[in-house]
Amino acid sequence: MPLANPPAPQLTRTRAAVDATNLLRAYGSGEAQVVALRNVSVQFASGAFTAIMGPSGSGKSTLMHCLAGLDTVDRGSVRIGDTEITGLNDKALTRLRRDKIGFIFQQFNLLPTLTAEENILLPASIAGAKADPAWIGRVIATLDLADRLTHKPTELSGGQQQRVACARALATRPEVVFADEPTGNLDTRSSGEVLRFLRRSVDDFGQTIVMVTHDPSAAAHADRVVFLADGQIVEDLHRPTADSVIDTMRGFENRVPLAGEGR
Amino acid sequence: MLRATLKGMASRKARLVLTSLAVVLGTMFVAAAMVLTATMEKSVTGVISDAFTGVDAVVTAAEDPAAAQGNTPSATLIPASVLDDVRGVDGVESADGDVSGQVNAIGDNGKLVGAFAPTIGFNWNDQTTGYNEIRDGRGPEADGEVIVSAQFVKDSGFDVGDTVTAYSYTAERADYEIVGVFGLPGGRDSLAGETQIGFTTAEAQRLLTQGEDAYMTIYVEGDASTDTIADAVGADFRVQTGEEASEEAAQGFAVVADIMGYIFLGFGLVAVFVSVFLIINTFTIIVAQRQRELALLRAIGAGRNQVVGSVLAEAAVIGVIASIAGLGLGVLLGWGLSQLVSSSAMGGLAVKLEVPLTALWALAVGIGVTVLSAIVPAVKASGVPPVAAMREAVNPPKPLRGITIAGLAVTAAGGVLVGLGLTDNLGDLGLGGFLTGVGIAFVGITLLTPILSRPLVALLGAVMSWSFSGRLGKLNAGRNPRRTAITASALMIAVALVTGIATIVSSFKETTADLTDQNLDSDLIVMGQQGANIPTFAPETLAEIKALPDVAAVGDLYGEFFGAEIDGESTALFASEDLATSLQVFSGTVAEGTVEDLPDDGLVVNESAAQDAGLALGDTVPVTFADGESAQLTVVAVLEDQLLTDGFWVAPAQIAHFTVPKPMQAYIQVEDGADVDAVQDQVDDILADEPEVSVANNADFVEQQTSQLDLLLNSVQVLLALAIIIAIIGVVNTLVLSVLERTRELGLLRAIGMTRGQARRMITVESVIICLFGAVLGIAVGIGLGWTVQQALEEEGLTSFALPWPLIAGYLIAAVAVGLLAAIAPAARAAKLNVLNAIAYE
Repeated sequence: MPLANPPAPQLTRTRAAVDATNLLRAYGSGEAQVVALRNVSVQFASGAFTAIMGPSGSGKSTLMHCLAGLDTVDRGSVRIGDTEITGLNDKALTRLRRDKIGFIFQQFNLLPTLTAEENILLPASIAGAKADPAWIGRVIATLDLADRLTHKPTELSGGQQQRVACARALATRPEVVFADEPTGNLDTRSSGEVLRFLRRSVDDFGQTIVMVTHDPSAAAHADRVVFLADGQIVEDLHRPTADSVIDTMRGFENRVPLAGEGR
Repeated sequence: MLRATLKGMASRKARLVLTSLAVVLGTMFVAAAMVLTATMEKSVTGVISDAFTGVDAVVTAAEDPAAAQGNTPSATLIPASVLDDVRGVDGVESADGDVSGQVNAIGDNGKLVGAFAPTIGFNWNDQTTGYNEIRDGRGPEADGEVIVSAQFVKDSGFDVGDTVTAYSYTAERADYEIVGVFGLPGGRDSLAGETQIGFTTAEAQRLLTQGEDAYMTIYVEGDASTDTIADAVGADFRVQTGEEASEEAAQGFAVVADIMGYIFLGFGLVAVFVSVFLIINTFTIIVAQRQRELALLRAIGAGRNQVVGSVLAEAAVIGVIASIAGLGLGVLLGWGLSQLVSSSAMGGLAVKLEVPLTALWALAVGIGVTVLSAIVPAVKASGVPPVAAMREAVNPPKPLRGITIAGLAVTAAGGVLVGLGLTDNLGDLGLGGFLTGVGIAFVGITLLTPILSRPLVALLGAVMSWSFSGRLGKLNAGRNPRRTAITASALMIAVALVTGIATIVSSFKETTADLTDQNLDSDLIVMGQQGANIPTFAPETLAEIKALPDVAAVGDLYGEFFGAEIDGESTALFASEDLATSLQVFSGTVAEGTVEDLPDDGLVVNESAAQDAGLALGDTVPVTFADGESAQLTVVAVLEDQLLTDGFWVAPAQIAHFTVPKPMQAYIQVEDGADVDAVQDQVDDILADEPEVSVANNADFVEQQTSQLDLLLNSVQVLLALAIIIAIIGVVNTLVLSVLERTRELGLLRAIGMTRGQARRMITVESVIICLFGAVLGIAVGIGLGWTVQQALEEEGLTSFALPWPLIAGYLIAAVAVGLLAAIAPAARAAKLNVLNAIAYE
C-alpha cells in the first residue's frame, strides 16, 4: 500500500502530546495475577500518527485505556499535553476525556437516538459548549458527510458510521485521538477511507492520533508503529510500510511463541 | 430444559424480585381482604354469642320493616301481657322484656353525644345486668336515674354524679342523674362505637314506646322448647333459640367488616390488574435480552413449544413463590387490619384470627395472572429464528400499526356503546351497556398508549430538554413506545380511576354550589350534621326565627324517610308549614294547580315523580303513614322538576303522622340590606337549646353537604398510593433493564466525557417523562371517565361539570416525585458503570 507523504519534522512537533513513564498495570492478585503492562515508557509526538500493535494479551488495549484515562495505572505517570492524569478523580478524568481526548471505537460508536450531526456534536453538547462551526464544517466536508447529517446511525452504512465517529472524535480539536481498532469491523474499501482520513487529519490539521490495530496494512498508514508483547514494548518502527510491519511481527513472533492474531 | 430455565432465573435475581413484588402486592391485598372479612365475622360472632350466653330463647315481634329500624314508636311491640304468658310457660326459668332504641343525649358541650354512632337507650333489667359489667356505681333504681356505658362517659364528658339531659323522637327532654357506669364483656367500652344509657323499664318505655307497657324483645332462660313458647305467645310473635338470634344479630355487625373486605378486595384486584402490565413488560424484556440464548437453544434443536414452555415455567416459578409470599403477608395484613377495624370502629373488639379457605383464591389469582401475562412474551420468544443466535442482538421496535388499529377499533366500539347509553338508545341494557362501554373504551385507550406516547413524550420531553442529558433522556424515553406505554400504564390506570372519581366528586360539589347559589333563595340555613340519625329541632324554634325582625321569609322542611307508602310503594314524604313560602325560598315553580291554602288531604308532587307514579292533577291516591294511619290524598298541584323541591309533599296537618314530627331544616331569607351575620347570631341564640342543629351560611352548607364525598375521595386516593408503589416497581424495572440494554451506549457516553451526574440526570429525566406520561394520560382518561358519568347522571341532577384542578396538579407533582424516586437506583447503577467493561459489554 502506498504510503502518504511522511510529515516533515517541525519544531512544534517535538513536544509530546502523550507521555507515559514507567507504567505498571496488573490485574488480580497472588497466583492469578496478570501483569498487563510492565514498566512501559513511551511518548507520542504531537501531530503524529502512531499505531500500537501486538498480539492478543500483549497489553496494547490496556496501554491505550491507561493513556486515555479509561483505566488507572498501578504505578507510573501519564501526561496528556500539560496535564498529569494519574491520580485525577473520576470527575476530572471525565472532563479531560471530554475536552482533550477524542475516541474512535471498533464498533458501537454512535448513539442510535441521535442523528449523524448530533453525534458529531455530542462531546460539545455534553460539555454544554458550542462547537466551532467553521471547524465542524471543514471536518464534515473532509469526511464527505454533508448529505448524511440528518440520518440516524441505523440509516448509515458501517463505513459511514465510522466516518461519523471520526468526525465526532475530531470535533472538539482534542489534544489526542485514540482509535481502538477503528477498521476492525469494516470492509476493505471503508477501511481505506477511514485510514486515509486519519492520515489527512494528521497531515492537514496537525492532529495527534494513537491507533490500536492488529492489521499491518492499517498500521502502515501511521508514522510510527510501537510493538507490544507480554506487557512490554519490543519494537519501535518509524515510517512503516505494510511489509516492514509484517517483517517486524514475524521477527518477534519467532522470539515469543504466540497464539494467533487478535486484538 | 427446566434446568436451563431455573439456572437462567438464578442469574437474573434482581429483576425477578422486582417482578415478584408486583405479584406479591396484588396477592397480599386479595388475601388480606379474605382474612379481614373472615376474622371480623368470627370475632363479631364471638362477641354476639357471648351476649346471648344463657339466653335459651328470644321472642320478637313478627317481621316488620319498620320494627327493624328499632327506633320507630310504631314498631310492633310485645305487650307486657305476653311477657307474663312466657313466664307462665313450663320450663321457663326466667324471662325479661327488653326495651331499646335510639335516644338523644346532650353532652357536656351542648351538642349531641356521639355524632356518628347512635346513642342506644334501654331498660336496665336482670338480663342486661347479667350480661354487662358494672364498673362504677349501680344500676338505676328510680326513673330519674341512669347507668351509662363507658363509651358514653368517654364521648359525653360526664361521669357518675353528673346530670345528663336525654330525650327521644317521641319523648320530651328530661334530666337524669348518672348513678353508674358499665362496660361490655371482655373489658370493652362499646360493641361498635355506640354509646348506651340504661334506664328503668318505665322510663325506657316512656322514651321508646310512647309510654306503652310493652317490649321489643323477650329473653328467655330455661329449657322450654321454642315451640312451646310459640304456642303460648301466638302467631303474632316470633320465637327463636338464643343461637338463631345470635347469628342473626351477628350478621348485622359483620357488615362493617364485609364492606372493608370488599374495599380491600377492590384494591387487591386493581393491584393485580396493574401487575399484569408489569409482568408482561418484564417478560417481554427478559425475552428480548435472552434473544441470542433462545435462538441458540432453537439452533441446537429446541422446539418452539419448548421455548414457550421455558418462559412459562419461569413465570410459574415466580407466580408460585410470589403468591405464597403474598398470601403470608396478606394474612398478616388482614390480621393487622382486623385489629385496626376493631379498635377504630368496633370499640376494641377482641380479634380472633381466622384464615378462610377462600384465601387460597389469592394464590390461584397470583399464579394464574403471572402465567397468563407471560403467554404473549412466551409466544413471541418462540418466534425468535435460530439464525438470530449468530446475529447482533438488535431489537428494532415493532411497528405500531397493528396495535393502534386494534386500539382504535376497541375504543370506537366502547365509544359507540357509551354514546348509545348516554342518548338512552340501549333500552333494557341501559346502565349495564353503558358501563360495559366505558370498560371497553378503557381497554381500547390502553392499547392506544404506545402510539400516544410518541407525541406526548416529545411534548413532555421538550420541557425537560434544557440540558443535553435531559434531551438524551427524552430521546431514550421515546425509543421504545411499547415499553414506555406499558410501563406508564400502571400509573395511568390508577390516576385515571382517581381522577375520574375526583371529577365526579367535584362535579357534585359544583352542582351543589350551583343549586345553592342559583336556586336557593336564602341566606342562612338551619340544619345538623347528618350522623347516625336525622337531626331535627323543635317546631317552636321555627316560629321564633320567623318572628325575627330582619327575617323576610323562612322555608321549612319536615321529612319522613321510613315506612310511608303511596299506593303501596314505599316512598319518602315531605311537608312544610307553609309550602307556598318554602317553594319561593327553594325557587320551586308550580306547573299546574296551586299550593296556596293546601287542603289537609292535598298532595303536591313534581312532574317526573308524578309521571313515574302514574299520577296527574286531580288524581286521588291512598297514602299510608309510618304510624299506620292511612288517608286518601288528592294531587292538588304539580311542580316543575327542580332538585330541591322534587318529591311528594303533604299538608302540614299530616306532619303529626311522621315518625319525627319535627322540622329537619329551615332556609332563612334575610331582608334586603339587613346584616346577614347579625341575623345568623340571633338565630344562633335561638338555637342555643337545640343540640342537633346549628345555623350556617350558604358556603358552610355546601361544605357540609359535600364533606362525605371528600371522605370517599380520600379513601379512593389510598388506592392510588397502592398503585403508585406498583408503578414505581414497574418504572424501576424498566429503567434497570434499559440501563442494562444500553450498557455500551452509556460506556461510550462516559468515555467521550459524560460525567456521572449527567448520566444520572439522563436516566432520571427518562423516568420522570415515563411517569408524567402515565399521569397525563391517566388524567385525560379520568376526566373523560368523569365527564361520561356526569353526562349519564345529568338527568339525575348532576348538572354541573367541574374539574378538580388542585388534585390534578397534585397528581402531576406526585408523578414527578414517583419518577424521581424510581430513578434513584437505576441512575446510580448507570453512574457507577465501569466505563471499560461497558465498552466491551456484549
